[in-house]
Amino acid sequence: MNSLLPQILAYTPFIDPINVHRVWFWLLIPLSLGISITYKAVRVGDMRHYPRQVLVMTVQIVAAMVLLGLASYLLIQHILPRILPAA
Amino acid sequence: MLAAMIFPGLGHAVAGEIKRAALIATGVLGLFFGGMFIGGIDVVDSKEDAVWFYGQALVGPLAFGVDWAHQEKFKVIDSSGKLRSAFPDEGRDPKTGKAVPGGTPPNEKSIGKVNELGTLFATLAGMLNLVVILDAGFPARDRPKKKDTPDAGKAGA
Repeated sequence: MNSLLPQILAYTPFIDPINVHRVWFWLLIPLSLGISITYKAVRVGDMRHYPRQVLVMTVQIVAAMVLLGLASYLLIQHILPRILPAA
Repeated sequence: MLAAMIFPGLGHAVAGEIKRAALIATGVLGLFFGGMFIGGIDVVDSKEDAVWFYGQALVGPLAFGVDWAHQEKFKVIDSSGKLRSAFPDEGRDPKTGKAVPGGTPPNEKSIGKVNELGTLFATLAGMLNLVVILDAGFPARDRPKKKDTPDAGKAGA
């Protein structure tokens, strides 16, 4: 704790970066939410449907990114090594 | 459309769509300042990350203000006259802006994924604001007109 204290005291929000190097992938959720809030504010005609539309779009983006990540993992780790084995 | 370029959501507010304007401002400013919260002021940099700044500039004068502050108030001038971020063991002379060895840097430079994601947040804010600006000038066709909305109906009753 003593070693962390100078870092915490020196930190200035919006000026210095936060330390999320190990959990950076969780930032996908606020990113998707921010995109959905803005995009749906422009696109939704009847604002009564707005909260649901934002939630659905956020889930869609997160799910699509997870699936893309999974597809990339399978391609790089399993499919490509079978097609092009290391010499 | 001009109002939309000045501040996120202002174009819709001028058109009388206050709720929509507030949500737009929340989204765009949330992403922009969210990016700065994650990666610090270093994510808005027209000199070192010019291509990303082209996207961020679409947020409007706010982005130019943040970039100005970054260049003029946080970066240091080194011995060769080059403007750059201060190293961890350097300070900044507030009068001349020159690097001072042994001081504390005005800001910490973000690196790796934190810098990438902070920059992405702020750039997406600008790109979404372009959609907002276009919508303020040329509203979506499928949006019900004011007289058709339930609120307008209640007000008229």
